Amino acid sequence: MAESVKVLPEDIQKIIEVREWDMRTREGVQRFRELKAKSLPSVALDGELVYESIIPMQEELIDEIKRRHKEKNPHG
Amino acid sequence: MKNHSATKRFVFHTKGVCPPEIHFNVDDGNIKDIRFVGGGCPGNAQLVARLLEGKPLKEAFQFLIGIDCRNGTSCPDQLATAIRAIRDGRLDPADSFRIHKDTSPRKKIGLIGELQGNCIAFEQILHNTHDIGVEVIYCLGNLTGNSPRNKELLKIIQKHNIVAIQGENDWRYAHGKEGRRLPALDPQDRDWLVRLGHVLCFQMRNKKGIAFFGDYIQNLPDYSDFEPFALEMNMVCGLTNFMQDETVFPALEAMIPQFETDIILFSQIKKWEHWQVAGKDFISIGPALENNRLNWGFLEINDDRIAFNVMEIQL
Repeated sequence: MAESVKVLPEDIQKIIEVREWDMRTREGVQRFRELKAKSLPSVALDGELVYESIIPMQEELIDEIKRRHKEKNPHG
Repeated sequence: MKNHSATKRFVFHTKGVCPPEIHFNVDDGNIKDIRFVGGGCPGNAQLVARLLEGKPLKEAFQFLIGIDCRNGTSCPDQLATAIRAIRDGRLDPADSFRIHKDTSPRKKIGLIGELQGNCIAFEQILHNTHDIGVEVIYCLGNLTGNSPRNKELLKIIQKHNIVAIQGENDWRYAHGKEGRRLPALDPQDRDWLVRLGHVLCFQMRNKKGIAFFGDYIQNLPDYSDFEPFALEMNMVCGLTNFMQDETVFPALEAMIPQFETDIILFSQIKKWEHWQVAGKDFISIGPALENNRLNWGFLEINDDRIAFNVMEIQL
């Protein structure tokens, strides 16, 4: 899952901060439960669970990131 | 993976002295929490531990080396041997939890949940398991509890060579952390409890199993998520809340290919239940005494399939 994020274009990489959680660990499990996720892989954006059980198409992921970025930076 | 925190825990297996093990911590090069486990002179051992508490390893070594008691060695001399072994890189820090291995392949296993010092329950269950023909009995922790007969029960368990692991109560007793809510227990019994495994590993034909009490193990000092069987425990205790949250079973299924084991037994939640997820058997072992009824679990393997039944004895 993290691979799909790592290969995002540079302009997208510049506006995001990526955190990967290891589900083998207690910390990863705790974060999984906080997000109320049910299955793997899961992707949360801005702390909100957006994709579950699927790896989104790159274009879809980029559009969603851009949309959220624009929402937070309406004049940017 | 061994622990990597500043404090490292060591377990040294002695030779030629009464206590079979010495447990101690090394914190930033200083020795701490020395405990001679399983025999010897408890008073003298405590004195040694107090006198050396916090001393640098090199300084402690000078006090300990060359003292003779029997067999050309002594408890202090064995501790010196342990320190030398650390210095020479021959003694690694202990894993954060102790794994007991039942090396005999099993077909029929009797499982006993928490007994909490109930000798009568144990003896009746023991009798019943013999009638059914189990090969071995595993006690899944909390042998001890708020009972005046803890000592008696431990004695019977030892007499019958029952395989047992620590529950949270047993761990508390073993480390003198039982507080006032549990009755007192002799140092010898505490030493016996401290040597019990936290996790039991067993084999049934081609299936590998583990048994553990519950999530107190995850709170042990230096618990590592990457030790053997930690994944299974993290998934049972943390992810699925002891299999009570079925909504996360899809995530459990995704993690199961990384499991080392096929059968996972636990007993913290005081329920009898069996789940089969992605080819793995998860079994919760309930208490031995419940609603004026004795219960034990009968685990059997037939044609590489696990069968589990709760056996009831009406009182």
